[in-house]
Amino acid sequence: MGGRPGGRSGLKSVSAYELQKAIRRVNREPAAREAFAKAPEDFAAALDLTDDEKAALVARDYGRLYALGVHGLLLRPFSIIHQVSEAAYLDAIRASRTS
Amino acid sequence: MSLVFAAAISHAPGYVAWTDMAPVAQKDSLYAAAETLRQQLDAAKVEALVLFTSEHWANFFLDHISPAVIGRADTYFGPVEPWLKMERTAIPGDAALASEILALAYERDIAPGYAHELEFDHGTMIPLKFLTPNMKTPVTPIVLNALASPQPSPRYCAELGRAVGDVVRASPKRIGLIATGGMSHDPGEVGHGHIDEAFDRRFLAQMAAGDLDALKAYSVADLGAAGAGAIELLNWIALAGAMGRFSGEIVAYEAVVPWATGMGLMTFQPQDAERP
Repeated sequence: MGGRPGGRSGLKSVSAYELQKAIRRVNREPAAREAFAKAPEDFAAALDLTDDEKAALVARDYGRLYALGVHGLLLRPFSIIHQVSEAAYLDAIRASRTS
Repeated sequence: MSLVFAAAISHAPGYVAWTDMAPVAQKDSLYAAAETLRQQLDAAKVEALVLFTSEHWANFFLDHISPAVIGRADTYFGPVEPWLKMERTAIPGDAALASEILALAYERDIAPGYAHELEFDHGTMIPLKFLTPNMKTPVTPIVLNALASPQPSPRYCAELGRAVGDVVRASPKRIGLIATGGMSHDPGEVGHGHIDEAFDRRFLAQMAAGDLDALKAYSVADLGAAGAGAIELLNWIALAGAMGRFSGEIVAYEAVVPWATGMGLMTFQPQDAERP
C-alpha cells in the first residue's frame, strides 16, 4: 500500500508503543517538551526504546519515525512544535516510503 | 417520536482555524450549509444531542483503546487545541441519556466503553460551534475509534447506532443526532492533501438514498483507501444505523484543498417506520 492514501493507518496495526507514548508526552506536556528540547539524548536514554528508535527521536528524523510506525496525528503535531513546514514534513515521510 | 433532527458534518480544523485559506466560494458554501443545519436544529427545538464523533489522541492512547466510548459526564470541556481559535468552554452533558444508551447496548451484547470525563477536540467542537454556538444544549458524545487499528466494523457501528436510535425514539426528550468527521482525507500521512471526490460523492449518494445495506457493506479498509481520516465515516454509518430508514439531503460538498479534506454536510429525514 506504499504511498496510497490511508494505506498505513487504515490497514496496519500501529506499533512502536513506547516511542509514540514519548512523542505524545512531548506534544502535550510542557515539562516533557522542555526536557526534550534541553537534552534530547538524556530524554531518550530514559525511555525503553530500541537504538534505532532513540536515534530517530533524538535526530527528529521524521521519515524514520514514520517508518518506525509513529501515527501521523502524533508525528505531524510533533513536527509543528519544532517549526517544520508541512511541505518539509511530507517530503520526509514520503521519502521514507520509497527508501 | 423524539428523534427530531439528524445531520452529518465534516470537522476539518481549517473550517475554523484557517478558514480564509479556502477559496471564497467554497468557504461561503460551507458556512451557508452549516447555517442551514443550525437553523433546522433550532426549528426542531432540540433538547439534547447525541454525537457520533471522533477524537485525535486527545483522551485516548494505545494504553487502552475501545471500539466506542460513550461519555456519561455532567460537563465536558473543549477544545483541547489552543490553536483552534475557539475559546475553551464548558458543554453540559446528559449523563442520564448516556446511561440509557449504555444499558440497552449492553443488553444487546454490543458493550461499548464509557467515560465519566472527556475533553473535546476539534472533532466535536467544530460541529458544536456551528450547530449550537451558545454551547448550552446537553450532549452525549459517542467516540468511535477511527485512529488505532483495528477499528470497529461498519456493522458494529450501525448496530450501536441502532441501539442509540431505539433509546432516542423512546425518549420523551426532543433529541438530535449528529455525525461528525470525514470525508476523504489523510491527515499527517503520506497521502495528506489527497481528496477522493469520487469516493466522497458515492458515499454521499448512499447516505442520501438511505442505503443502510450498502453502508454496512463497507469494510474499514474500503474507507481507509480514501485516506486514514475517511475512517471517521464510521460515525456517519452509526448515524445511519440509528435512523434505520431514512433519506438525506446533501446540503454541501466541497473538496477543499487548503484544508486537505473532502467536506460534506447533510441533513436527514428519518422515517418513523417499523424496521426489519
